[in-house]
Amino acid sequence: MTDHNRPSGDDQDTTHFGFTTVKTNEKEKLVRGVFDSVAGRYDLMNDLMSAGIHRLWKRFTIELSAVRSGQTVLDIAGGTGDLSARFSKLVGTDGKVILADINASMLQVGRDKLLDAGAFGNLHMVQCDAQYLPFPDNSVDCITIAFGLRNVTDKALALRSMERILKPGGRLLILEFSKPTNPLLEKIYDTYSFRILPMMGRLVANDEESYRYLAESIRKHPDQDTLMAMMEDAGFVDCQYHNMTGGIVAVHRGIKA
Amino acid sequence: MQREHDPAVITAVTAALEASVNRALALAPVASRELAEMADTVLAIECTAPVITVYITITSMGTLQVSSYSEAKSSTRVRGAFEDFLTLATADDPAATLINSDLEIVGNTAPLLALQQIVTHMDLDWEAPLVDVLGDVAGHQLAQLLRGTFSWGKDASKSLRRQLSEFILEEGRLSPPAAELDAFYDDVQNLALRVDRLQSRLKRFAQKVGAR
Repeated sequence: MTDHNRPSGDDQDTTHFGFTTVKTNEKEKLVRGVFDSVAGRYDLMNDLMSAGIHRLWKRFTIELSAVRSGQTVLDIAGGTGDLSARFSKLVGTDGKVILADINASMLQVGRDKLLDAGAFGNLHMVQCDAQYLPFPDNSVDCITIAFGLRNVTDKALALRSMERILKPGGRLLILEFSKPTNPLLEKIYDTYSFRILPMMGRLVANDEESYRYLAESIRKHPDQDTLMAMMEDAGFVDCQYHNMTGGIVAVHRGIKA
Repeated sequence: MQREHDPAVITAVTAALEASVNRALALAPVASRELAEMADTVLAIECTAPVITVYITITSMGTLQVSSYSEAKSSTRVRGAFEDFLTLATADDPAATLINSDLEIVGNTAPLLALQQIVTHMDLDWEAPLVDVLGDVAGHQLAQLLRGTFSWGKDASKSLRRQLSEFILEEGRLSPPAAELDAFYDDVQNLALRVDRLQSRLKRFAQKVGAR
């Protein structure tokens, strides 16, 4: 366990927060503000924004995880617990699912939702930062991070932290918005993201700015090949990705050597 | 890595299929119990045109998991074109169709046939959900009515098919009987063999004449 210690607060490097450049040590607070704002209506907005397709993207990610009974799964940025609920059934009473999120509001909504759905016993909630995962080395069979990596300040650091806690042979699955493979689809998608999405945010969640940030953060996220190279740099092997819905979303998979 | 089909599309199909089958199984407790006895069996359905592989996993809860990706070892793998699977799905005698079709079966056929038997003989109990919604008296009455209607529909469909077949064979003389057709196919095959033999003899005879 080597990367639990956070850097000091006087780090003045810059990073992006959507299309805005901010000080590195401010991004975490800004992202938290966005998710505090959308937590209550997160599921509803996901359904509206993706026309329900996010459920299919998540379902395919779970299939790729090949999680079995008795395993330990860490669902990072698990938010309202869509993946954790399914994993809880797959690992059974002998296994363990850890729902982790940096945001207390999201974790609170997720916990209530999972309890209402009858998922408990093998489920644990942890509020933590993906860059400094508070778990022992080689302790987890599978890690998933769905629509969370783009909000992490230092993605390379987070990937190294994930690699550290995975057991050898364990797998990481990253489900994230990516770059459409068709130029025409990209144009339509841009119009949707920058015009329709903020409008929906205003109407449904009364929060246009947060949804504008979501659209901007997607554009700033590394494309499919760049992310795969980052995974390889972090030490993952057999890295591959599957484009979904024309590359709007991609699921990357890497194995710890 | 690129897949030929968008996983989201295939996942939509498998999710819909899984939901429909499991909804039906929830109304058929006997079938569900029989399935639970086959828990952890994985069947792979590999369609060669279009290229799609679907995995059916039987769970200990007596439900089916339908997915487009699985790393579990499949007990049976059935491979073939889409139309072959369609023929199998609509066949009166799936076991015979499976054996006589172009579908390639790898592994143990017993789980596949057992699953097919369970699904074919699945007896849906419509009464439970109806009673939940309408109450004991109205739910039971409606379930009786539905049972009667389904039973009449099944008998009427069987009778109609039998009468239609008789009309085509006997009254309309539109098609020869199956036995006559089989005999005709045998004759054609025998004739083809005899022609082949005659052709070989003529060839040999021509070689002999050429040698002199």
